[in-house]
Amino acid sequence: MICDRTLDAGSYVLHAMDDDEAAQYAAHVASCPDCTAAVADMQLVADTLPMAAPQLAPPPALKGRIMAVVEAEAQLLRAAGPEADRPPAPSPARRRRLWGLGDALRVRPLAAVGVACALLAAGLVGGAVLTGGGGDAVVRTVQASAPDGATARVELTDDGQAELVFDRMPQAPVGRVYQVWLKREGGDPQPTHTLFTVREDGRARVTVDESVEGIDQLLVTAEPGGGSQRPTRAPVVAADLS
Amino acid sequence: MPRRPTADTGLAALADEDLMQLVRRGDSAAFEVIYERHSSAAYSLAYRMTGARGQAEDVVQEAFLSLWRSGARYDRARGSVRTWVLGIVHNRAIDSLRRAGVHDRRRAATDDDSIAERMEAPDRTDAEAARRGEAREVRRALLTLPAEQSRVIELAYFGGFTHSEIATMLGSPIGTIKGRMRLGLEKMRVQLGDAVEAPSA
Repeated sequence: MICDRTLDAGSYVLHAMDDDEAAQYAAHVASCPDCTAAVADMQLVADTLPMAAPQLAPPPALKGRIMAVVEAEAQLLRAAGPEADRPPAPSPARRRRLWGLGDALRVRPLAAVGVACALLAAGLVGGAVLTGGGGDAVVRTVQASAPDGATARVELTDDGQAELVFDRMPQAPVGRVYQVWLKREGGDPQPTHTLFTVREDGRARVTVDESVEGIDQLLVTAEPGGGSQRPTRAPVVAADLS
Repeated sequence: MPRRPTADTGLAALADEDLMQLVRRGDSAAFEVIYERHSSAAYSLAYRMTGARGQAEDVVQEAFLSLWRSGARYDRARGSVRTWVLGIVHNRAIDSLRRAGVHDRRRAATDDDSIAERMEAPDRTDAEAARRGEAREVRRALLTLPAEQSRVIELAYFGGFTHSEIATMLGSPIGTIKGRMRLGLEKMRVQLGDAVEAPSA
């Protein structure tokens, strides 16, 4: 006698169950050889269905946007060092859905990248990861030059930390991220690891990952994804700190 | 726009499964090759499901970033990288459609090949040409099904509707809808024969 719940196998692999039904059926499949075999059979066919969609080329700009995020996170991962290569700790959280391909959904980011992602979601990357929440009192605020319509200021604490605050700042061009540079009098701009993006509304708060003590000028340029060793473009933001 | 042409890195010669080993270690150039290979299929599926460019782009972006951040979850024993990528895209698109509600999904469930075919990507490699041949077979297998079976499969897989929603929409009992899905997939399996036994990498 074949299990009558094999009837559900088609609906299951097509993702036509709601979350609760899918979870219940997945639990049943785990202990039912008939349903396991039926799901495996149906899954092979379901896996071919994407090919039935008319094939289109994705817009080139989409790749630029994705690679900008990936490059910025790869840079953070490198900065995090060998720690980042450790396998991630198993996450106790289980995704609500248990599809055939459910494993792909149980996202367990590499430790360092996980932090980066959270920050990216908030609209900033970089320095904040390394310096943490400080909480020192702001002793001085410097207005910075910024693109038309945008405002930028630098908040300085007495121990040499700087935080950039943006409003209505335009998005970095496709494939690029903003990078902070520090310049001493008479010297070339030195790169920092502070890479960031701004939110849709152009707001961002960015902690610079290096001390600005003795620094003459703080600059921001739009650089390719992972940042640059030398500026490749003219600064869009400049603040005189001296 | 890639800063490093991928052909120059030697990565282009690696199989997907080997590239995923590198992606797992945070290699962005390896990720870029994976993106180049599978973004068309991913975007095509997302566009077919959502019927809107912006939404399709969001789905593809979420899916590939999730792949980048959770590459460790890829298990080659469970299928090709392509199948894994498209599985993530399908799940993301369903989430997006179900958030949008039933009204918007009716539009997605009606095909608009006329617009889509004009944007069709050219074949650049033999692998792409071979895939196009497979795609024709899958479409044919879907077309040769009785209409009542292909319709429920399309509403579910591309439209993101649940079997209960489809039952209401078509005025049939849920058991009937489930039966049509199952029967339709079984027939496709026979029609596709070896193609589904050995999924191409």
